[in-house]
Amino acid sequence: MGMNTKYWSSLDELQQTAAAQEAMSTEFAREQSVENFLADDKLKETNTGRRDFLKFMGFSLAAATLAACETPVVKSIPYVVKPEEITPGVANYYASTYYDGNDYGSILVKTREGRPIFIKGNKEFGMDGGAINARINASVLGLYDGARLKGPRKNNSSDIDWNTLDTEVKAALASASSIRILSNTIISPSTKRAIAEFSNKYAGKVKHVQYDTVSYAGLNKANNGVTPSYDFSKAKTIVSIGADFLGTWLLSSAYAAGYMERRKPEGEWMSKHYQFEANMSLTGSNADVRVPIKPSQEGQVVAALYAAVTGSAPISVEGADKAIASAAADLKKSRGASIVVSSSNDVYVQTVVAAINEALGNHGATIDNVTGTNFFQGKDEEVRALVDEMNAGTVDALIIYGTNPAYSYPETDKFIAGLQKVKTSVCFNHFADETSSRCAYSAPDHHYLEAWNDYAPVKGRIDLAQPTISPLYNTRYAQEAFLRWADNNTEYYDYIRQTHNSAYTSAALKTDAQWNMAVHNGTFASTVSEAASTVNATAAVSTISISEALAKATAAKSSEWELSVYQKVTMGIGNQANNALLQETPDPITKTTWDNYFTMSPADMREMGLQTYIGQCDCADVIKVTVNGKSLTLPAFPTPGQKRGTIGVALGYGRGAGNEEIGNAAYQTGKAGVHLMDGDKRQTIGKNAFPFISFVDGTWSFKATDVTIEKTGETYSVATTQMHSTVMGRDSVVKETDLATFLKNKDKKRGEAEFNLIPALAVHEDVNGDGVINAQDKKTVDNFDLWRAHPVEGPGHRWGLAIDLNSCIGCASCITACHIENNVPVVGKDEVLRHRDMHWLRIDRYFSSEFETLEETKEQTGKGTIAAYRHMEDPAENPKTVHMPMMCQHCNHAPCETVCPVAATVHSNEGLNNMAYNRCIGTRYCANNCPYKVRRFNWFNYVTNDKFSMVNPAQDDTLRMVLNPDVTVRTRGVMEKCSMCQQRIQEGKLEAKKAGLPVADGAIQTACSEACPVGCIVFGDLNDINSLVNKKSQSVRAYHALEETGVKPNVYYMTKVRNIEPAEA
Amino acid sequence: MIKESKIRKPLILGHKTYGDITKDIVDPIMGETPKQWKIAFTIACIVALYGVGCLFYIIGVGIGSWGLNKTVGWAWDITNFVWWVGIGHAGTLISAVLLLFRQRWRMAINRSAEAMTIFAVIMAAIFPIIHMGRVWQAYWTLPLPNQFGSLWPNFNSALLWDVFAISTYFSVSLVFWYIGLIPDFATIRDKMVKPGWKKFYSILSFGWSGRAKHWTRFEEVSLVLAGIATPLVFSVHSIVSMDFATSIIPGWHTTIFPPYFVAGAVFSGFAMVQTLLLIMRKVMKLEAYINLRHIEYMNIVIIVTGSIVGVAYLTELFVSWYSGVEYESYAFINRFSGPLAWSYWAMMTCNVISPQLFWIKKLRTNLQFTFFMSIIVNIGMWFERFVIIVTSIHRDYLPAAWGEFKATPMDIGLFIGTIGIFFVLFLLFARYFPVLALNELKTILKVSGESYKNDNNKH
Repeated sequence: MGMNTKYWSSLDELQQTAAAQEAMSTEFAREQSVENFLADDKLKETNTGRRDFLKFMGFSLAAATLAACETPVVKSIPYVVKPEEITPGVANYYASTYYDGNDYGSILVKTREGRPIFIKGNKEFGMDGGAINARINASVLGLYDGARLKGPRKNNSSDIDWNTLDTEVKAALASASSIRILSNTIISPSTKRAIAEFSNKYAGKVKHVQYDTVSYAGLNKANNGVTPSYDFSKAKTIVSIGADFLGTWLLSSAYAAGYMERRKPEGEWMSKHYQFEANMSLTGSNADVRVPIKPSQEGQVVAALYAAVTGSAPISVEGADKAIASAAADLKKSRGASIVVSSSNDVYVQTVVAAINEALGNHGATIDNVTGTNFFQGKDEEVRALVDEMNAGTVDALIIYGTNPAYSYPETDKFIAGLQKVKTSVCFNHFADETSSRCAYSAPDHHYLEAWNDYAPVKGRIDLAQPTISPLYNTRYAQEAFLRWADNNTEYYDYIRQTHNSAYTSAALKTDAQWNMAVHNGTFASTVSEAASTVNATAAVSTISISEALAKATAAKSSEWELSVYQKVTMGIGNQANNALLQETPDPITKTTWDNYFTMSPADMREMGLQTYIGQCDCADVIKVTVNGKSLTLPAFPTPGQKRGTIGVALGYGRGAGNEEIGNAAYQTGKAGVHLMDGDKRQTIGKNAFPFISFVDGTWSFKATDVTIEKTGETYSVATTQMHSTVMGRDSVVKETDLATFLKNKDKKRGEAEFNLIPALAVHEDVNGDGVINAQDKKTVDNFDLWRAHPVEGPGHRWGLAIDLNSCIGCASCITACHIENNVPVVGKDEVLRHRDMHWLRIDRYFSSEFETLEETKEQTGKGTIAAYRHMEDPAENPKTVHMPMMCQHCNHAPCETVCPVAATVHSNEGLNNMAYNRCIGTRYCANNCPYKVRRFNWFNYVTNDKFSMVNPAQDDTLRMVLNPDVTVRTRGVMEKCSMCQQRIQEGKLEAKKAGLPVADGAIQTACSEACPVGCIVFGDLNDINSLVNKKSQSVRAYHALEETGVKPNVYYMTKVRNIEPAEA
Repeated sequence: MIKESKIRKPLILGHKTYGDITKDIVDPIMGETPKQWKIAFTIACIVALYGVGCLFYIIGVGIGSWGLNKTVGWAWDITNFVWWVGIGHAGTLISAVLLLFRQRWRMAINRSAEAMTIFAVIMAAIFPIIHMGRVWQAYWTLPLPNQFGSLWPNFNSALLWDVFAISTYFSVSLVFWYIGLIPDFATIRDKMVKPGWKKFYSILSFGWSGRAKHWTRFEEVSLVLAGIATPLVFSVHSIVSMDFATSIIPGWHTTIFPPYFVAGAVFSGFAMVQTLLLIMRKVMKLEAYINLRHIEYMNIVIIVTGSIVGVAYLTELFVSWYSGVEYESYAFINRFSGPLAWSYWAMMTCNVISPQLFWIKKLRTNLQFTFFMSIIVNIGMWFERFVIIVTSIHRDYLPAAWGEFKATPMDIGLFIGTIGIFFVLFLLFARYFPVLALNELKTILKVSGESYKNDNNKH
């Protein structure tokens, strides 16, 4: 190292300045302390001028403002300790049970990240195959309703705590000399036990009265205190007199499945269904033979049937003789395999019905009237006696559980007056509703999705309900209330366990495999005796003699105008009036939403000069109907099939007439989306028709004679989703045939049967080889193609649906299921009125015209083409009905795909017509070019626009928790439509991939196919030759709607087959 | 010099000199703003502002502020679009096609007709943009390079063809119009005394000096542009008609649409030219230049195109019957007998029956009647589009999906608003731009001017 080069690291070092020398002297740079810094005199000399100050201030302000402008971050908080069973993004299903006193269903609750978001039937273990209906399906919304009571209340004004409530109530009960419990029919053994324990505690003072909102007391009495159970799957002949057993009567959701089992024309036999009724009901719309009768004729029809079946002196019923004769003939042919039911609540009519069934040997075969079911045990006279007692002021304490009599009791005023005379009243209802708000104490029960419970629907079966979320609010089991007041501090869960296992201790919770399996399945076979119907003794028909019953049943006098009240399939008894989804689900028959109305025969309406075409600009005329001094003003709605001279009105509307807090969606909104007002009260949706129910011969009667109608001169808009009722002779839309014709063609291939020919076009070539080119030279439409074919057959999936028009009863379960699954916005009455409902899946309901085709109409009426078309626009007086579920047809040559300027809607290689919301610019060209008109446009931002704040669940802070996290909530200005539940397909494919297996047929279900109680909608892979959907698509009944347009849909429809004689077709 | 037959009626009446022409056109621009103009302009501005208000409301709230619904996805929006595009047809036809056919009478009317075209196309362009649910993504219809995985528009879509057709038509029309304006701007520049305005017109005139070389180039460019514009006259409305013709909807899916739409467009375009010119010649005292002969010629075009349109309507009816397709035949039966039949009969009366009155010479040379008819024709043509669009889709394939349509104040407001905006633009044009092609007119003064023609004939 001879070199003497010196390296320097800075100029300071080179020049050896003082600072550099000092720095070099210390190994580490010394930090200047704050004191030193502040002590620096030079600092005092620096000055921050006014301008600088303002600059700094300005900068800080601007910086702070800008920082505040950031879009809000919605934080998702991870689990601190992740529950074992919850994987974010993967749904869990829990078996549970729905019971509200009117509907019953074994359900599976889908939860995502701890939130119940969807309800489907428990098909594997549920009662009657887990059949549920639209009301049960949509009930999940009720859990999140922000108007629910958040805790106990006193006098509907002050919030109190549970201890105070218990202390005060117990004090009141101790001093009371008569305590009454008013509940719906209790079918829960544990609840019964709790009530019994309570009754024992206050022995001698307590009476428990069961009250069914819609009474079946007549049926119950006529069968000696048993509510029978029916097996429609064994019935070759079904005769229903007014009973809407597919929609609302008794356990309708269960009956629908059994009924449909025997409505498949391919089966061994197909049942024949006669319906005698005044209103066009859902069941009536599915009947082979439907005979409109007046409500007062019900008894006569039943008596005439009895006479015809037993061979006694025939009774003539005006306008129904022919149908009664053929019904009786069919009944006699199928002894022991038929069912006669009646909706009448008249014990005499029901006695005759029971006698008919007895005479036909149906008891024990299709009808079980020995053990029956445990539902609908209410005794009408007991309820009336209670109300009288209340009015007499002799009831000291009244406990109301699971029912809302201040709304639904027919003599509402009397009940309310009586309630005010009760010293202490307690109500367990979820809302401060008509009853709860008038009670001294509101002690809200848990929502059924938050609670344990057990139910004994029939003998030998216990169904369980389990909580799927911890209680959202400070609510408490009603059962625990009974227990606390009886000085029992057991938790209700333990109490349920004890009911079924007296040896149970809470320590056994984890080890009891049997119980865990029961919870998993939602049910277990019961050995406890109380599960059986207790009242019943021997198998017997009513104690009323048949001659007396016949005399009384036929005694009803008819009058010029008669009325019958009915339940709407969507609204039922009105306990879910706050459910926006149900309010917006169109009634299957009238296709109206958000209202009730008087249904009338269009012919009657024309005679009275009432508006029979209801549309956006054509309001319905309001009429005033008076029965027994009680009157109601509602719009008149034309309903084909309604017996002339009769009026129908739906129950379940007019909730919250006293402006109670029962939820935003329970009140009518107007054009601006705010609640409409009647004075200082919010306007109810529809009006309460319960007061039209009258007490006759010991039971509530749902019909009335001596009805008067007045025109009021007012008009009212009724929002319908379908304005045009007839199919206008377009045979490629719906196809139908009769059973004989079908059987003749049964073994043919698709497109060859005479009732289902593939449309053909004449071509300029000698197709039939007769040497002449003429109109007979035709080729079927599948020979013509404008487009390069999508590779639809071969490897890979091709998802498709097969929809059986024969099975579809029109119950609307698929609509609600689709709505919830896909976060479809609810838009409210004004928007429905503007024809902007957003349903991805709708059910087109077609009534037949007087004549089927244009030619026939021209021939029969002698009219010209234009007039004949006009004639076809009007449904026949008693039309045949077809329900046709209509959703995106996922066309392989989709007209929507070619016209989108930005390719936002494209075909997937699995046969789906995809919709890329993010790409959509909203020209609506696709919707215009859709022959099925199934595309729905986001006219507004439904999630933020004030117009929808009262109706759209996505706008409510708690209600929005029901949204499905797998499906995007669409923004304003984009098109949306059925995706065939893409998210479910994806999930199913991933499951199969993880398992290393091909996707099994039936493993993936769309929301609609899953919700369908009758298996009408079948989803699957059309490329899988063993799949059910593939088999159905090859069936002789299969066709494409609008096949001649050549759009090649992936949705197949199956021809409707009616069990009628060809001549009647 | 070209000799014109003496039996031809003169195109420029009276004893005009070159100077007179300049004076007649330029003086109103240099002079004080007339009171009538101020009133008209104020009214137009108010209407336009109302329209702009509606426009912002619609963008702010959503398409739901219109009366459209799940069945009727297009109504006033596309009706107005096609109507305005149709009106925008006459200008280019007059300037391009008539130029190629050497129709000298076009020179008196082409300037304002072209201006009308430009403004009408601007109005038309508002609708397809605003009718989009997400206006802010409108640029996605353009084939721009992008980073969405290089996502292109769908070239199969007739709506995309529209984008190209309209934008091409608009740019060519604008250039054509402006080229024609350059020499006239130069004339104004030379006459103008107010320094600011002089500068303004000098910029607009692009340094035109009137040299022979400039004129040669001017003529060449005009001819080339006319050549380009001529096919456009036919393509634009053909393509617009394909929005409907290429669809599957009965009543839309019609092969005769392209020629029928072009005829209809010329028909409505000429009617609009009549409406505007009849007012303008009176107010601006241009009777010498736009005289009865011009009016009559235009009325003849209206008879011819109106008759074509009428034949097209009847052909549609015939084909719907002859095809034997039940949807097609019902669509047309529904047109004339259904719930919206009033619009069909309004269309038939205005478009087919009333123009036939022009066969009577007395009527087609009557100014008041012509003015009245021009309004009627435009109402009729609006209804034609309404009938095609709304009555076809409101009752198409599935009767369960049949619907109705009710216009809202926003539908109407935006339409009226575009009329306001149109007149704002047109009034500005009439005030500050040369309303006649004065330099072109000078080329025919000695040939077709009344006095010169008579003078020539004396020899």
